[in-house]
Amino acid sequence: MKMQKTLALVKMELKKIIREPAYLFLMILFPAVLTLVFGLAFGSPQFNYMAPGLFAYACIFIIMIVAQSFSDDREQGLLKRINITPTTSGEFMGSHIISNTLLSIFQVAIVAVCSLIIGFRPKGGATGFLLAFVLIIVLSICSVGFGLITASVAKSAGTATGLSFIFILPQMFFGTFIPLNDATRMIAYFLPSYYATDALNLIFLEGVPLTELTIWIDLGILSIMSVVIVLLGILLFKKYGKA
Amino acid sequence: MDDTDNGYAIVIEDLVKKYDDLIAVDGLNLEIKSGELFGLLGPNGAGKTTTINILNGLLKPTKGTAFVAGYDVKKDLNNIKELIGVCPQEAALYKFLTGRENLELFGNLNGMPKNKIKERMDYLLELLDFEEDSRRKVKGYSGGMLRKLNMLVALIHDPKIAFLDEPTVGMDPRARRKVWEFIGSLKSQNKTIILTTHYIEEAEALSDRVGIIDYGELIALGTPKELMEKHEAKNLEEVFLKITGRRILEGI
Ligand SMILES: Nc1ncnc2c1ncn2[C@@H]1O[C@H](COP(=O)(O)OP(=O)(O)OP(=O)(O)O)[C@@H](O)[C@H]1O
Ligand SMILES: [Mg+2]
Repeated sequence: MKMQKTLALVKMELKKIIREPAYLFLMILFPAVLTLVFGLAFGSPQFNYMAPGLFAYACIFIIMIVAQSFSDDREQGLLKRINITPTTSGEFMGSHIISNTLLSIFQVAIVAVCSLIIGFRPKGGATGFLLAFVLIIVLSICSVGFGLITASVAKSAGTATGLSFIFILPQMFFGTFIPLNDATRMIAYFLPSYYATDALNLIFLEGVPLTELTIWIDLGILSIMSVVIVLLGILLFKKYGKA
Repeated sequence: MDDTDNGYAIVIEDLVKKYDDLIAVDGLNLEIKSGELFGLLGPNGAGKTTTINILNGLLKPTKGTAFVAGYDVKKDLNNIKELIGVCPQEAALYKFLTGRENLELFGNLNGMPKNKIKERMDYLLELLDFEEDSRRKVKGYSGGMLRKLNMLVALIHDPKIAFLDEPTVGMDPRARRKVWEFIGSLKSQNKTIILTTHYIEEAEALSDRVGIIDYGELIALGTPKELMEKHEAKNLEEVFLKITGRRILEGI
Protein backbone atom coordinates (compact mmCIF):
# COMPACT_ATOMS: atom_id res chain seq x y z
CA MET A 1 0.00 0.00 0.00
CA LYS A 2 3.02 2.26 0.28
CA MET A 3 2.84 3.44 -3.30
CA GLN A 4 -0.90 4.12 -3.13
CA LYS A 5 -0.71 7.91 -2.97
CA THR A 6 2.02 8.21 -5.59
CA LEU A 7 0.19 5.92 -7.99
CA ALA A 8 -3.10 7.76 -7.52
CA LEU A 9 -1.35 11.03 -8.40
CA VAL A 10 0.41 9.52 -11.42
CA LYS A 11 -2.92 8.25 -12.70
CA MET A 12 -4.45 11.68 -12.27
CA GLU A 13 -1.53 13.43 -14.01
CA LEU A 14 -1.74 11.10 -16.99
CA LYS A 15 -5.48 11.68 -17.26
CA LYS A 16 -4.79 15.41 -17.22
CA ILE A 17 -2.54 15.07 -20.24
CA ILE A 18 -4.86 12.78 -22.13
CA ARG A 19 -8.06 14.69 -21.43
CA GLU A 20 -6.88 18.29 -21.80
CA PRO A 21 -6.71 19.07 -25.53
CA ALA A 22 -4.03 21.71 -25.03
CA TYR A 23 -1.68 19.30 -23.28
CA LEU A 24 -2.47 16.52 -25.70
CA PHE A 25 -1.61 18.78 -28.61
CA LEU A 26 1.70 19.79 -27.06
CA MET A 27 2.46 16.20 -26.29
CA ILE A 28 1.72 14.34 -29.49
CA LEU A 29 1.47 16.79 -32.31
CA PHE A 30 4.32 19.07 -31.43
CA PRO A 31 7.17 16.53 -31.47
CA ALA A 32 5.71 14.79 -34.51
CA VAL A 33 5.35 17.98 -36.54
CA LEU A 34 8.73 19.21 -35.47
CA THR A 35 10.46 16.03 -36.55
CA LEU A 36 8.63 15.84 -39.87
CA VAL A 37 9.37 19.47 -40.67
CA PHE A 38 13.05 19.04 -39.95
CA GLY A 39 13.10 15.80 -41.86
CA LEU A 40 11.49 17.30 -44.95
CA ALA A 41 13.52 20.50 -44.79
CA PHE A 42 16.94 18.92 -44.44
CA GLY A 43 16.56 15.58 -46.13
CA SER A 44 18.21 12.30 -45.40
CA PRO A 45 21.94 12.63 -44.77
CA GLN A 46 21.70 15.95 -42.94
CA PHE A 47 18.64 15.06 -40.93
CA ASN A 48 20.41 11.99 -39.55
CA TYR A 49 22.86 14.19 -37.67
CA MET A 50 20.00 16.07 -36.05
CA ALA A 51 17.84 13.12 -34.98
CA PRO A 52 19.59 12.35 -31.65
CA GLY A 53 19.40 16.05 -30.79
CA LEU A 54 15.68 15.97 -31.49
CA PHE A 55 15.32 13.13 -29.01
CA ALA A 56 16.94 15.32 -26.39
CA TYR A 57 14.78 18.26 -27.41
CA ALA A 58 11.62 16.24 -26.75
CA CYS A 59 12.84 15.71 -23.17
CA ILE A 60 13.56 19.41 -22.69
CA PHE A 61 10.21 20.45 -23.97
CA ILE A 62 8.40 18.92 -21.00
CA ILE A 63 9.80 21.76 -18.85
CA MET A 64 6.92 23.83 -20.17
CA ILE A 65 4.32 21.17 -19.49
CA VAL A 66 5.58 20.62 -15.94
CA ALA A 67 5.66 24.34 -15.16
CA GLN A 68 2.20 24.86 -16.60
CA SER A 69 0.69 21.91 -14.86
CA PHE A 70 2.03 22.91 -11.43
CA SER A 71 0.89 26.51 -11.85
CA ASP A 72 -2.55 25.41 -13.04
CA ASP A 73 -3.04 23.15 -10.04
CA ARG A 74 -1.83 25.89 -7.75
CA GLU A 75 -4.24 28.43 -9.21
CA GLN A 76 -7.13 26.03 -8.68
CA GLY A 77 -6.24 25.57 -5.01
CA LEU A 78 -5.42 21.93 -5.63
CA LEU A 79 -1.88 22.03 -4.32
CA LYS A 80 -3.23 23.35 -1.03
CA ARG A 81 -5.85 20.67 -1.00
CA ILE A 82 -3.24 17.94 -1.49
CA ASN A 83 -1.10 19.62 1.13
CA ILE A 84 -3.82 19.10 3.74
CA THR A 85 -3.88 15.33 3.15
CA PRO A 86 -1.26 13.05 4.73
CA THR A 87 0.57 12.89 1.37
CA THR A 88 4.28 13.58 1.90
CA SER A 89 6.22 15.86 -0.41
CA GLY A 90 8.32 12.84 -1.38
CA GLU A 91 5.23 11.02 -2.62
CA PHE A 92 3.98 14.16 -4.33
CA MET A 93 7.26 14.96 -6.10
CA GLY A 94 7.83 11.30 -6.88
CA SER A 95 4.51 11.13 -8.69
CA HIS A 96 5.42 14.13 -10.84
CA ILE A 97 8.80 12.71 -11.71
CA ILE A 98 7.21 9.40 -12.69
CA SER A 99 4.32 10.83 -14.72
CA ASN A 100 6.44 13.39 -16.56
CA THR A 101 9.19 10.92 -17.30
CA LEU A 102 6.59 8.58 -18.79
CA LEU A 103 5.31 11.48 -20.83
CA SER A 104 8.79 12.32 -22.00
CA ILE A 105 9.52 8.73 -23.02
CA PHE A 106 6.32 8.76 -25.00
CA GLN A 107 7.36 11.95 -26.78
CA VAL A 108 10.78 10.59 -27.59
CA ALA A 109 9.08 7.50 -28.99
CA ILE A 110 7.02 9.72 -31.30
CA VAL A 111 10.13 11.54 -32.45
CA ALA A 112 11.91 8.22 -32.95
CA VAL A 113 9.11 6.75 -35.04
CA CYS A 114 8.89 9.88 -37.20
CA SER A 115 12.68 9.87 -37.63
CA LEU A 116 12.65 6.25 -38.73
CA ILE A 117 9.93 7.02 -41.25
CA ILE A 118 12.00 9.85 -42.67
CA GLY A 119 14.95 7.53 -43.06
CA PHE A 120 17.05 7.81 -39.92
CA ARG A 121 18.96 4.56 -39.37
CA PRO A 122 20.63 4.57 -35.97
CA LYS A 123 23.75 2.57 -35.19
CA GLY A 124 24.35 0.96 -31.82
CA GLY A 125 22.97 -2.37 -30.67
CA ALA A 126 20.52 -3.35 -27.98
CA THR A 127 22.83 -2.25 -25.17
CA GLY A 128 23.30 1.07 -26.91
CA PHE A 129 19.55 1.56 -27.03
CA LEU A 130 19.28 0.67 -23.37
CA LEU A 131 21.85 3.29 -22.47
CA ALA A 132 20.07 5.82 -24.67
CA PHE A 133 16.90 5.03 -22.74
CA VAL A 134 18.68 5.74 -19.46
CA LEU A 135 20.02 9.04 -20.82
CA ILE A 136 16.54 10.07 -21.87
CA ILE A 137 15.13 9.27 -18.44
CA VAL A 138 17.83 11.23 -16.64
CA LEU A 139 17.39 14.25 -18.91
CA SER A 140 13.62 14.08 -18.36
CA ILE A 141 14.03 14.09 -14.60
CA CYS A 142 16.27 17.10 -15.01
CA SER A 143 13.49 18.82 -16.97
CA VAL A 144 11.03 18.15 -14.15
CA GLY A 145 13.47 20.02 -11.91
CA PHE A 146 13.61 22.98 -14.32
CA GLY A 147 9.82 22.91 -14.51
CA LEU A 148 9.59 23.09 -10.73
CA ILE A 149 12.01 26.02 -10.62
CA THR A 150 9.92 27.79 -13.26
CA ALA A 151 6.67 27.16 -11.39
CA SER A 152 8.20 28.47 -8.15
CA VAL A 153 9.24 31.72 -9.74
CA ALA A 154 6.16 32.26 -11.90
CA LYS A 155 3.02 33.31 -10.11
CA SER A 156 0.54 32.27 -12.79
CA ALA A 157 0.18 29.60 -15.44
CA GLY A 158 0.63 32.20 -18.20
CA THR A 159 3.92 33.50 -16.84
CA ALA A 160 5.08 29.94 -16.27
CA THR A 161 4.78 29.17 -19.96
CA GLY A 162 6.85 32.18 -20.95
CA LEU A 163 9.43 31.73 -18.23
CA SER A 164 9.96 28.09 -19.09
CA PHE A 165 11.63 29.21 -22.32
CA ILE A 166 14.49 30.61 -20.23
CA PHE A 167 15.43 27.01 -19.63
CA ILE A 168 14.20 25.56 -22.92
CA LEU A 169 15.80 27.90 -25.46
CA PRO A 170 19.47 27.82 -24.36
CA GLN A 171 19.33 24.06 -24.05
CA MET A 172 17.73 23.85 -27.46
CA PHE A 173 20.20 26.16 -29.22
CA PHE A 174 23.36 24.95 -27.54
CA GLY A 175 22.69 21.37 -26.68
CA THR A 176 20.41 19.56 -29.06
CA PHE A 177 20.07 19.40 -32.80
CA ILE A 178 21.94 22.58 -33.76
CA PRO A 179 25.63 22.04 -34.62
CA LEU A 180 28.09 23.73 -32.25
CA ASN A 181 31.19 25.79 -32.92
CA ASP A 182 33.97 26.49 -30.42
CA ALA A 183 32.22 29.49 -28.87
CA THR A 184 28.78 27.93 -28.48
CA ARG A 185 30.37 24.77 -27.15
CA MET A 186 31.67 26.79 -24.19
CA ILE A 187 28.08 27.66 -23.30
CA ALA A 188 26.91 24.13 -23.99
CA TYR A 189 29.25 22.72 -21.33
CA PHE A 190 26.94 24.26 -18.71
CA LEU A 191 23.77 22.71 -20.11
CA PRO A 192 22.47 19.25 -19.22
CA SER A 193 21.04 18.63 -22.68
CA TYR A 194 24.52 18.93 -24.23
CA TYR A 195 25.77 15.86 -22.39
CA ALA A 196 22.67 13.85 -23.29
CA THR A 197 22.94 14.83 -26.97
CA ASP A 198 26.69 14.17 -27.04
CA ALA A 199 26.21 10.66 -25.69
CA LEU A 200 23.23 9.98 -27.97
CA ASN A 201 25.26 11.12 -30.97
CA LEU A 202 28.10 8.79 -30.04
CA ILE A 203 25.72 5.85 -29.67
CA PHE A 204 23.42 6.41 -32.62
CA LEU A 205 25.63 8.16 -35.18
CA GLU A 206 29.06 6.74 -34.52
CA GLY A 207 27.97 3.44 -32.99
CA VAL A 208 30.79 3.58 -30.47
CA PRO A 209 31.06 0.54 -28.20
CA LEU A 210 29.89 0.90 -24.62
CA THR A 211 33.48 0.66 -23.48
CA GLU A 212 33.92 4.23 -24.74
CA LEU A 213 34.60 6.33 -21.66
CA THR A 214 33.10 9.56 -23.04
CA ILE A 215 29.58 8.14 -22.93
CA TRP A 216 29.93 7.32 -19.26
CA ILE A 217 31.43 10.70 -18.45
CA ASP A 218 28.49 12.31 -20.25
CA LEU A 219 26.03 10.20 -18.28
CA GLY A 220 27.85 10.97 -15.02
CA ILE A 221 27.84 14.75 -15.53
CA LEU A 222 24.21 14.68 -16.70
CA SER A 223 23.19 12.67 -13.63
CA ILE A 224 24.93 15.01 -11.22
CA MET A 225 23.38 18.05 -12.90
CA SER A 226 19.94 16.42 -12.80
CA VAL A 227 20.12 15.57 -9.12
CA VAL A 228 21.23 19.11 -8.25
CA ILE A 229 18.54 20.72 -10.40
CA VAL A 230 15.75 18.48 -9.11
CA LEU A 231 16.76 19.08 -5.49
CA LEU A 232 16.97 22.80 -6.13
CA GLY A 233 13.54 22.67 -7.80
CA ILE A 234 11.98 20.80 -4.88
CA LEU A 235 13.56 23.16 -2.38
CA LEU A 236 12.45 26.31 -4.20
CA PHE A 237 9.00 24.89 -4.78
CA LYS A 238 8.55 24.00 -1.13
CA LYS A 239 9.63 27.45 -0.09
CA TYR A 240 8.03 29.70 -2.69
CA GLY A 241 5.92 27.64 -5.02
CA LYS A 242 3.10 26.24 -2.98
CA ALA A 243 1.04 29.31 -2.18
CA MET B 1 -6.30 10.42 20.65
CA ASP B 2 -8.47 10.86 23.68
CA ASP B 3 -5.48 10.74 25.98
CA THR B 4 -3.73 13.65 24.26
CA ASP B 5 -6.59 16.04 23.59
CA ASN B 6 -8.18 16.16 27.06
CA GLY B 7 -11.62 16.23 25.51
CA TYR B 8 -10.80 19.22 23.31
CA ALA B 9 -10.64 18.90 19.53
CA ILE B 10 -9.31 22.42 19.12
CA VAL B 11 -7.47 24.71 21.51
CA ILE B 12 -6.45 28.12 20.18
CA GLU B 13 -4.03 30.13 22.33
CA ASP B 14 -3.35 33.86 21.83
CA LEU B 15 -3.35 33.33 18.09
CA VAL B 16 -2.21 36.23 15.91
CA LYS B 17 -1.93 36.25 12.14
CA LYS B 18 -0.65 39.26 10.23
CA TYR B 19 -0.46 39.75 6.49
CA ASP B 20 2.17 42.50 6.30
CA ASP B 21 0.53 45.23 8.43
CA LEU B 22 -2.98 43.82 8.23
CA ILE B 23 -3.96 41.95 11.39
CA ALA B 24 -6.32 39.18 10.26
CA VAL B 25 -6.44 37.28 13.55
CA ASP B 26 -5.86 39.35 16.66
CA GLY B 27 -5.10 37.40 19.85
CA LEU B 28 -7.74 34.72 19.46
CA ASN B 29 -8.42 32.28 22.32
CA LEU B 30 -10.93 29.51 21.77
CA GLU B 31 -11.59 25.94 22.86
CA ILE B 32 -13.79 23.53 20.95
CA LYS B 33 -14.76 20.24 22.55
CA SER B 34 -14.51 16.85 20.87
CA GLY B 35 -17.81 15.93 19.28
CA GLU B 36 -18.97 19.53 19.19
CA LEU B 37 -20.53 21.21 16.18
CA PHE B 38 -19.10 24.69 16.38
CA GLY B 39 -20.38 27.57 14.27
CA LEU B 40 -17.67 30.11 13.46
CA LEU B 41 -19.41 33.30 12.42
CA GLY B 42 -18.33 36.79 11.54
CA PRO B 43 -18.55 39.44 8.82
CA ASN B 44 -16.58 39.25 5.58
CA GLY B 45 -12.91 39.61 6.32
CA ALA B 46 -13.33 38.84 10.04
CA GLY B 47 -10.64 36.18 9.93
CA LYS B 48 -12.61 32.92 9.76
CA THR B 49 -10.86 31.39 6.77
CA THR B 50 -7.50 32.56 8.07
CA THR B 51 -8.15 30.82 11.39
CA ILE B 52 -9.19 27.60 9.67
CA ASN B 53 -6.12 27.67 7.45
CA ILE B 54 -3.88 27.97 10.50
CA LEU B 55 -5.63 25.01 12.10
CA ASN B 56 -5.14 22.86 8.99
CA GLY B 57 -1.52 23.89 8.57
CA LEU B 58 -1.76 25.92 5.36
CA LEU B 59 -0.78 29.12 7.18
CA LYS B 60 1.74 29.63 9.94
CA PRO B 61 0.72 31.69 12.98
CA THR B 62 2.51 35.02 13.45
CA LYS B 63 2.21 34.62 17.22
CA GLY B 64 0.57 32.17 19.59
CA THR B 65 -0.36 28.66 18.58
CA ALA B 66 -3.20 26.18 18.30
CA PHE B 67 -3.71 22.52 19.06
CA VAL B 68 -5.78 20.12 16.99
CA ALA B 69 -6.63 16.90 18.84
CA GLY B 70 -3.84 17.81 21.22
CA TYR B 71 -1.25 18.25 18.44
CA ASP B 72 0.54 21.56 18.04
CA VAL B 73 0.03 23.06 14.57
CA LYS B 74 3.58 24.36 14.74
CA LYS B 75 5.15 20.97 15.40
CA ASP B 76 2.88 18.00 14.77
CA LEU B 77 1.21 18.77 11.46
CA ASN B 78 1.72 15.24 10.19
CA ASN B 79 -0.39 13.84 13.01
CA ILE B 80 -3.04 16.50 12.43
CA LYS B 81 -3.29 15.68 8.72
CA GLU B 82 -4.30 12.12 9.55
CA LEU B 83 -7.37 13.35 11.42
CA ILE B 84 -8.84 16.29 9.54
CA GLY B 85 -10.95 16.98 6.50
CA VAL B 86 -11.21 20.45 5.01
CA CYS B 87 -13.86 21.89 2.72
CA PRO B 88 -12.20 25.03 1.33
CA GLN B 89 -14.22 28.19 0.77
CA GLU B 90 -13.29 28.16 -2.93
CA ALA B 91 -14.06 24.83 -4.58
CA ALA B 92 -10.77 23.07 -5.44
CA LEU B 93 -11.33 20.14 -7.79
CA TYR B 94 -9.70 18.51 -10.80
CA LYS B 95 -11.82 19.69 -13.71
CA PHE B 96 -10.76 16.98 -16.14
CA LEU B 97 -11.74 14.24 -13.70
CA THR B 98 -15.27 13.10 -12.98
CA GLY B 99 -16.80 13.64 -9.55
CA ARG B 100 -16.16 10.03 -8.65
CA GLU B 101 -12.56 10.22 -9.82
CA ASN B 102 -11.99 13.27 -7.62
CA LEU B 103 -13.44 11.43 -4.63
CA GLU B 104 -11.36 8.35 -5.39
CA LEU B 105 -8.16 10.38 -5.73
CA PHE B 106 -8.61 12.11 -2.39
CA GLY B 107 -9.64 8.83 -0.77
CA ASN B 108 -6.33 7.41 -1.96
CA LEU B 109 -4.39 10.48 -0.82
CA ASN B 110 -5.87 9.95 2.62
CA GLY B 111 -4.69 6.34 2.56
CA MET B 112 -8.08 4.64 2.47
CA PRO B 113 -8.34 1.01 1.31
CA LYS B 114 -9.92 0.66 -2.14
CA ASN B 115 -13.11 -1.09 -1.02
CA LYS B 116 -13.68 1.49 1.73
CA ILE B 117 -13.38 4.31 -0.82
CA LYS B 118 -16.04 2.76 -3.00
CA GLU B 119 -18.36 2.06 -0.09
CA ARG B 120 -18.04 5.55 1.39
CA MET B 121 -18.32 7.18 -2.04
CA ASP B 122 -21.56 5.39 -2.83
CA TYR B 123 -22.94 6.32 0.57
CA LEU B 124 -22.07 10.01 0.26
CA LEU B 125 -23.24 10.34 -3.33
CA GLU B 126 -26.60 8.82 -2.56
CA LEU B 127 -27.01 11.08 0.42
CA LEU B 128 -26.77 14.21 -1.75
CA ASP B 129 -28.58 12.74 -4.77
CA PHE B 130 -25.39 13.11 -6.69
CA GLU B 131 -24.88 9.66 -8.20
CA GLU B 132 -25.65 10.58 -11.78
CA ASP B 133 -23.77 13.86 -11.90
CA SER B 134 -20.80 12.24 -10.22
CA ARG B 135 -20.12 10.33 -13.43
CA ARG B 136 -19.68 13.52 -15.43
CA LYS B 137 -16.50 15.54 -15.72
CA VAL B 138 -16.29 18.41 -13.23
CA LYS B 139 -15.59 20.81 -16.11
CA GLY B 140 -19.31 20.85 -16.94
CA TYR B 141 -20.61 21.26 -13.39
CA SER B 142 -23.00 23.99 -12.30
CA GLY B 143 -22.04 26.18 -9.34
CA GLY B 144 -24.06 24.15 -6.86
CA MET B 145 -22.69 20.83 -8.14
CA LEU B 146 -19.16 22.12 -7.63
CA ARG B 147 -20.01 23.03 -4.05
CA LYS B 148 -21.55 19.63 -3.36
CA LEU B 149 -18.55 17.76 -4.66
CA ASN B 150 -16.21 20.17 -2.88
CA MET B 151 -17.82 19.18 0.42
CA LEU B 152 -17.92 15.47 -0.32
CA VAL B 153 -14.22 15.42 -1.15
CA ALA B 154 -13.56 16.91 2.29
CA LEU B 155 -15.50 14.10 3.94
CA ILE B 156 -14.56 11.09 1.79
CA HIS B 157 -12.21 9.69 4.44
CA ASP B 158 -14.69 10.17 7.27
CA PRO B 159 -12.40 12.56 9.19
CA LYS B 160 -12.59 12.87 12.96
CA ILE B 161 -12.43 16.66 12.73
CA ALA B 162 -13.97 18.51 9.79
CA PHE B 163 -13.52 22.16 8.82
CA LEU B 164 -16.34 23.27 6.58
CA ASP B 165 -15.78 26.78 5.23
CA GLU B 166 -19.14 27.96 3.88
CA PRO B 167 -20.05 24.53 2.52
CA THR B 168 -23.61 25.34 1.50
CA VAL B 169 -23.07 28.49 -0.57
CA GLY B 170 -24.90 28.24 -3.86
CA MET B 171 -26.76 25.03 -3.03
CA ASP B 172 -30.49 24.83 -3.67
CA PRO B 173 -32.78 24.59 -0.61
CA ARG B 174 -33.25 20.85 -0.89
CA ALA B 175 -29.53 20.17 -1.18
CA ARG B 176 -28.84 22.52 1.69
CA ARG B 177 -31.34 20.72 3.88
CA LYS B 178 -29.73 17.40 3.06
CA VAL B 179 -26.35 18.81 4.02
CA TRP B 180 -27.81 20.04 7.30
CA GLU B 181 -29.20 16.59 8.01
CA PHE B 182 -25.90 15.03 7.13
CA ILE B 183 -23.87 17.43 9.26
CA GLY B 184 -26.30 16.76 12.12
CA SER B 185 -25.77 13.02 11.73
CA LEU B 186 -21.99 13.44 12.01
CA LYS B 187 -22.52 14.76 15.51
CA SER B 188 -23.99 11.45 16.64
CA GLN B 189 -20.77 9.78 15.41
CA ASN B 190 -18.76 11.95 17.78
CA LYS B 191 -17.15 13.95 14.97
CA THR B 192 -16.05 17.49 15.62
CA ILE B 193 -17.21 20.02 13.05
CA ILE B 194 -16.14 23.60 12.63
CA LEU B 195 -18.63 25.26 10.34
CA THR B 196 -18.48 28.76 8.94
CA THR B 197 -21.49 30.18 7.19
CA HIS B 198 -23.25 33.43 6.42
CA TYR B 199 -26.62 31.71 6.63
CA ILE B 200 -27.06 32.52 10.29
CA GLU B 201 -30.24 30.49 10.62
CA GLU B 202 -28.21 27.48 9.49
CA ALA B 203 -25.70 28.04 12.27
CA GLU B 204 -28.50 28.63 14.76
CA ALA B 205 -30.20 25.36 13.88
CA LEU B 206 -27.10 23.18 13.71
CA SER B 207 -24.50 24.47 16.15
CA ASP B 208 -23.98 23.35 19.72
CA ARG B 209 -22.12 26.59 20.26
CA VAL B 210 -21.21 29.52 18.06
CA GLY B 211 -18.34 31.95 18.21
CA ILE B 212 -18.65 35.31 16.50
CA ILE B 213 -15.43 37.01 15.45
CA ASP B 214 -14.93 40.49 14.13
CA TYR B 215 -11.62 42.08 13.12
CA GLY B 216 -9.89 38.88 14.19
CA GLU B 217 -11.18 39.04 17.77
CA LEU B 218 -13.73 36.82 19.45
CA ILE B 219 -16.66 39.04 20.42
CA ALA B 220 -19.26 36.46 21.44
CA LEU B 221 -19.24 32.81 22.47
CA GLY B 222 -21.98 30.51 23.65
CA THR B 223 -24.93 28.40 22.63
CA PRO B 224 -27.26 30.15 20.20
CA LYS B 225 -29.84 30.31 22.98
CA GLU B 226 -27.44 31.90 25.47
CA LEU B 227 -26.42 34.55 22.98
CA MET B 228 -29.99 35.39 22.04
CA GLU B 229 -30.93 35.77 25.70
CA LYS B 230 -27.88 37.83 26.53
CA HIS B 231 -28.45 40.26 23.68
CA GLU B 232 -32.25 40.19 23.94
CA ALA B 233 -32.63 39.11 20.35
CA LYS B 234 -35.29 36.91 18.82
CA ASN B 235 -32.85 35.07 16.61
CA LEU B 236 -29.13 34.66 16.10
CA GLU B 237 -29.05 36.89 13.06
CA GLU B 238 -30.23 39.78 15.20
CA VAL B 239 -27.39 39.07 17.63
CA PHE B 240 -24.97 39.08 14.71
CA LEU B 241 -26.26 42.41 13.42
CA LYS B 242 -26.21 43.97 16.88
CA ILE B 243 -22.68 43.14 17.83
CA THR B 244 -20.63 43.00 14.63
CA GLY B 245 -19.39 45.98 12.68
CA ARG B 246 -19.10 48.07 15.86
CA ARG B 247 -16.00 49.76 14.59
CA ILE B 248 -17.91 51.03 11.60
CA LEU B 249 -20.78 52.28 13.75
CA GLU B 250 -18.51 53.89 16.30
CA GLY B 251 -16.21 55.28 13.65
CA ILE B 252 -13.07 53.78 15.15
N1 LIG C 1 -3.28 36.13 1.36
C1 LIG C 1 -3.68 37.27 1.94
N2 LIG C 1 -2.93 38.39 1.83
C2 LIG C 1 -3.29 39.53 2.43
N3 LIG C 1 -4.40 39.68 3.16
C3 LIG C 1 -5.20 38.62 3.31
C4 LIG C 1 -4.88 37.35 2.71
N4 LIG C 1 -5.86 36.48 3.03
C5 LIG C 1 -6.73 37.15 3.80
N5 LIG C 1 -6.35 38.44 3.97
C6 LIG C 1 -7.05 39.44 4.76
O1 LIG C 1 -7.25 38.94 6.06
C7 LIG C 1 -8.52 39.31 6.56
C8 LIG C 1 -9.28 38.07 6.97
O2 LIG C 1 -9.59 37.31 5.82
P1 LIG C 1 -10.38 35.93 5.89
O3 LIG C 1 -10.33 35.35 4.56
O4 LIG C 1 -9.85 35.14 7.03
O5 LIG C 1 -11.86 36.43 6.23
P2 LIG C 1 -13.19 35.60 6.38
O6 LIG C 1 -13.67 35.82 7.77
O7 LIG C 1 -13.00 34.20 5.97
O8 LIG C 1 -14.15 36.37 5.38
P3 LIG C 1 -15.30 35.84 4.37
O9 LIG C 1 -16.55 35.73 5.17
O10 LIG C 1 -15.41 36.93 3.38
O11 LIG C 1 -14.85 34.55 3.80
C9 LIG C 1 -9.19 40.11 5.45
O12 LIG C 1 -9.02 41.48 5.73
C10 LIG C 1 -8.43 39.73 4.22
O13 LIG C 1 -8.41 40.80 3.30
MG1 LIG D 1 -13.70 33.06 4.44
